Amino acid sequence: MPEQASAQQPAIRCRNVWQVFGPGAQDHLAQALKQTGGDAGATAQALRALDLVPAVQDVSFDVKRGEIFVIMGLSGSGKSTLVRCISRLIDVTAGEIEIDGEDVLGAAKTRMTQLRRRKLGMVFQHFGLFPHMSALQNVAFPLKMQGQARAERLARAREVIELVGLKGREDAYPRELSGGQRQRVGIARSLAVNPDVWFLDEPFSALDPLIRRQLQDEFIDIQARLRKSIVFITHDIAEALKIADRIAIMRDGQIVQIGTPSQIVLEPVDGYVRDFTKDVAKGRHARLSSVLTPLAPDAPPPADDPGLRVDMTLDEALSACMSLYDPVPVHGPDGQIVGMVDPAELARAVQVDPV
Amino acid sequence: MSAARATPQGTGPAPRRGVIAALVVLAVGALCLALVPHLPWLGGFPDAWALPVTRWVDTGLTWFLGLIKPGARMLSAALSYPMTWANVLLLHTPWPLLVALVTALGWYVGGLRLALLGFAGFSFVVASGYWTESMNTLSLVAVSVPLALLLGGATGILANEVPRVKSAVQTIMDVMQTVPTFAYLTPLLLLFGFGPVVGLIASAIYAAPPMARNVMLGLERVETDIKEAAVMSGASRLQQLFLIEIPSAATQIMVGVNQSLMAALSMVIIAAVIGGFDDIGWEVLLTMRKAQFGAALLAGLVIVAFAIVIDRISAGMARQQPRHSRRIALLIVAAGAALAVLAWLYLPAAGQIQLLVPAAEWLDARLTQFVRAQGAALDAIKNGAMFYGLLPLRIGLDGAVLPFTWGFQWTPGMSAGFYAAAAAIGAFIAWRGGVAAGLMVPILAGIVETGIAELPWPFVLIGAGAIGWVAGGRKLALYAVLMLAAVLLSGLWAKALWSLYLSGAAVLTCAILGGAIGLLCALSPLAWRVVQPICDMLQTIPLFVFLIPVLMFFQIGEFSAFLAIIFYAIVPMIRYTRHGLISVPPDLIEAATSSGATTWQTMREVRAPYAAPTILLGLNQTILYAFAMLVIAALIGTTGLGQSIFLALGQADVGLGVTSGAAMAILALVADRLVQGFAAERRRALGL
Amino acid sequence: MKTVKRFWFGVTATAALATGMGHAAEMGAIETPIKLAVNEWTGQHVTTRIAGEMLKAAGYKVEYVTAGYMNMYQALGNGEIDAAMEIWSSNVSDEYGKQLAAGKVTEIGDLGLEAKEGIAYPAHVAEICPGLPAVEALRDCAGQFATAETLPAGRLVDYPADWGTPGAERITGFDLPFKAVPAGSEGALITELRASTEKKSPLLITFWQPHWAMSAYDIKFVDLPVGEEACFEDPAWGSNPNATHDCGFAPTRVFKATWSGLAGKWPAAAEILANLQLSVEEQQPMMGAVDVDGKSVEETVDAWMQANPDKWKPVVDAAIQ
Repeated sequence: MPEQASAQQPAIRCRNVWQVFGPGAQDHLAQALKQTGGDAGATAQALRALDLVPAVQDVSFDVKRGEIFVIMGLSGSGKSTLVRCISRLIDVTAGEIEIDGEDVLGAAKTRMTQLRRRKLGMVFQHFGLFPHMSALQNVAFPLKMQGQARAERLARAREVIELVGLKGREDAYPRELSGGQRQRVGIARSLAVNPDVWFLDEPFSALDPLIRRQLQDEFIDIQARLRKSIVFITHDIAEALKIADRIAIMRDGQIVQIGTPSQIVLEPVDGYVRDFTKDVAKGRHARLSSVLTPLAPDAPPPADDPGLRVDMTLDEALSACMSLYDPVPVHGPDGQIVGMVDPAELARAVQVDPV
Repeated sequence: MSAARATPQGTGPAPRRGVIAALVVLAVGALCLALVPHLPWLGGFPDAWALPVTRWVDTGLTWFLGLIKPGARMLSAALSYPMTWANVLLLHTPWPLLVALVTALGWYVGGLRLALLGFAGFSFVVASGYWTESMNTLSLVAVSVPLALLLGGATGILANEVPRVKSAVQTIMDVMQTVPTFAYLTPLLLLFGFGPVVGLIASAIYAAPPMARNVMLGLERVETDIKEAAVMSGASRLQQLFLIEIPSAATQIMVGVNQSLMAALSMVIIAAVIGGFDDIGWEVLLTMRKAQFGAALLAGLVIVAFAIVIDRISAGMARQQPRHSRRIALLIVAAGAALAVLAWLYLPAAGQIQLLVPAAEWLDARLTQFVRAQGAALDAIKNGAMFYGLLPLRIGLDGAVLPFTWGFQWTPGMSAGFYAAAAAIGAFIAWRGGVAAGLMVPILAGIVETGIAELPWPFVLIGAGAIGWVAGGRKLALYAVLMLAAVLLSGLWAKALWSLYLSGAAVLTCAILGGAIGLLCALSPLAWRVVQPICDMLQTIPLFVFLIPVLMFFQIGEFSAFLAIIFYAIVPMIRYTRHGLISVPPDLIEAATSSGATTWQTMREVRAPYAAPTILLGLNQTILYAFAMLVIAALIGTTGLGQSIFLALGQADVGLGVTSGAAMAILALVADRLVQGFAAERRRALGL
Repeated sequence: MKTVKRFWFGVTATAALATGMGHAAEMGAIETPIKLAVNEWTGQHVTTRIAGEMLKAAGYKVEYVTAGYMNMYQALGNGEIDAAMEIWSSNVSDEYGKQLAAGKVTEIGDLGLEAKEGIAYPAHVAEICPGLPAVEALRDCAGQFATAETLPAGRLVDYPADWGTPGAERITGFDLPFKAVPAGSEGALITELRASTEKKSPLLITFWQPHWAMSAYDIKFVDLPVGEEACFEDPAWGSNPNATHDCGFAPTRVFKATWSGLAGKWPAAAEILANLQLSVEEQQPMMGAVDVDGKSVEETVDAWMQANPDKWKPVVDAAIQ
């Protein structure tokens, strides 16, 4: 199926997904939607009045093939619920979810089991390792569920364990491993079946900062080799900006903004998103393309040309034109001048927002 | 045999230990089997070797009891005052007012749900016609529970303050809860005289340990931060304890109060055997004697109604949650008072209301009808279970396989074939890698062929020691052997083996059946909704009541006793199995699901192994319950230790009663320690 | 049990003679209630209620105290209970002997109930084993009575172990192919009778009268030679030359006992209780009224006392006038 799917088809497609907790949620939701004419905010309010919990509200997005899609939000924002909706660990109240064009909400239970065995992998915040199995057995577990023969699945498990850098610790039990090592086992287990779609639910949040950075780097490294379609949940904006191709910011069950890291940093849609990014050094994340002013057709050619390119980060650009005062030209990938940037503007954009 | 092929290849210490232990037991077993025909003293322990423990205990205890009797009598006299007051108070409160008070309390603590429960429960008591008897029972509980709380609380605090006595306190509490209550009724009678006070003290003794345990646990769990904050505030030790630590442990302590209440209620019926008090337990016994199932069940259900109302309301109090409107509570009481005035004028006295008597009679008639219609089927069930299950377990295949039972006679040739088959299967399992398991096969075959009640005593001792060694090392092995040796020397060995056989068969059945039901309940919430109230009822209703239908169906004999034990002891197995299976962290379940495991695969590969320690604890409880019920089952008519305890109670024979009780407690404690050992080992393996 | 039982034979005769009728006596402490033990069975309730009502008619206060039959003798010796109106010699706690020997309890004569114990069967069993009630018939139909626990022998339900094992003794005595299975309680015995009657299944059981179940389940006794002292000691006695106990049960005495201080504290009451007599013919119908017809003990006894003043009034009058 993935081979046949066109490149344009998203790996995951979510439309108007609702997850409401409480008795009779489905009926109440349908009724509330009808009454409010489909307005998400009003519907959520109506549901809350009924003592129901609308954990995910009217969420729609696509995850492209081979993309790292990060869902970011504070605890309680509904991001973990959302990822469980997509992997159907919990049943969605309303909406449409497709994986590789296949409707997963309508899929039978056995089909879901099949999908999970072949196509989906998931990593958990608290690792979810089986305490009564060794690292190797943990990693081999999904293969065992597939019904692979013992020798075959253990060989594959060894391979994946090596991939995550745990060679030599195969026979250790989870209780004998450090936090970082445990999550490596968790990652290895989720990769054992070589899934196309990879869910990671705050995989590094339970680790201390040093290990976290190390694992993030390794994760980027592994992804560079495997090119999975990834949904990555985190509450850490720095982590999101570091690894994401695109980021969705969630608040109170709704997605408030979806964009590339530099869009999120430089063009926050509201105060909530700005609050997230205000401590982030924008210069490291935003590219010059985001602050470009179009070239005025009749403007005189600029005096200086420090050789700025659109794919430079703001920091890089600033250090190149630090001593200049007038707007300088910016070159496209083919060397053509595509726009101008004012060094003073550049300096202002890089500045961290005052608290 | 299979031992020849065994090549120890276990990875950890436990498997290798298992192999060695199994080898030793197998060798001892084979040796006994070979030697018993020549050395008969290996089979049954010779009476001449037993020490006159019973007589010593009798002499010693009688002397000791005589010594403290005056003090005990004073206590008994002192306690009769609050008891009388409570009794007068409860009996003279008009019943509508009391019902209203309970309803109001239910409302205040838990809103509409508890108010309805309180109302329904006490209305049932009114309708049953046992109002007076019920109030007598309540007044007993009303005095014995505070006594138990005081006793248990003080013990718990003492153990917390003086760490040196902690383990001693634990042991004493274990003993208090494992020695069958019937066994200490006789000395209590001698000490405290006659009448309700003895029942009161017996139930206080029984109800104190849960309180003590929970106080200890609660104080232990107070966070270090809080304790240190108290110290740094300059509080004295007493201030720390009473102003900081006890309030912080309040929730856990309230759990203790709740459990104490339930324990006291369950003792009510047992204390009634002494009599002296026209309470609901006495009523159950009277109706039992006449084999009136309906009436006995009705009286028993009154206790259940009390238990449920008291349990839910006290559990509601233990939870720290907002209380409901006091005004409505007062309104309910006022309505009750108004009704009470009305009742004075128009309504009959509570004892005269007997709305449910026709229902009881109807039930009785149905039982009769059923027995009449299904007699043959019931006999077939019983014979099947006896011939193919219980008899072989008790006297072995060589004794149980007769032309009357299995249709042919067991011959020595068959024995040889049986052993050869067992050895072959064992060898095969050992060859596949399970050496210890392979060795177990011929051992089990030997037990089935010999029969539990006829096992040679050296084999039992060594076997228990071996299990102890595997479960918990040398110390536990020594403990098991020494404890059993004490029973051996007391001269009660044959009875103990008989008790072991009956409870063993019951526990085995409970484990299989209860495990299956627990599994079903873990999978299907609907099943649990059906099973849960049944479990609640089985645990609170006086089990005497069920002896009647069991007897009607299956007559006097060990099968009826076996069934009665199962009724009671299966409950913890169900509860713990379900609880263990459903309380696997959701993390693990999600991990399994997202690995593509189906529900059954998750159950087998993740839930079951993870729940193993909890299920083992359930098994442990089941064993303790089975031993407790063994005494009650003696009312049906069994031999074994339970019978000795009853005999002693009738004859006021302190020595026999206490010794048999102690023997029973020893069996229970040894089994308890062994299973706990395995559970601890499993927990360690899971890193919990 | 056996030694205890024989010990009673000696005491009874003197106790019965000591109390004659017709002495008027002092009333004593009429303000203090006299506490009568109420045990676990209906016959005893009837007897005790009659005794209590007689005491009340004489002007005493009476308190009925429930008490476990096997466990009440300490209390009786201590005066926590003042009188027990129905003690069966066939089934009495060793504690009673101790209290009696210590002089704390006084025996005040037989009740007049002619009790009978023996091996019994519900009437329908005669169809299954046609030779009944002859004891020899049991030898041939033992197989009919066999159950899973006793195979191949027949099953005889014996008394609860703490009442003794008369059933097992008869089996050895007559050398019957039976095995005794002890019941655990009276309830178990009744349940056996009830189940057998409902199922029309064979049953052989040790039982006694007066008991309400005798008529409720139409129970018959197996014919056994009258049990005498010699039968229990001399194997040569009776049909089986090799064993003792080849005869009926030792005759059962049903008697009354009081706290030793009773006669001093309430002299007239002591006399009333000592002279109270009740026969099987009087007691058994009342038991039936309670246990079969569902009437209360109180109304049954009150009706009987009203209908039969001649049975009790003279005793009261003689004591107080």
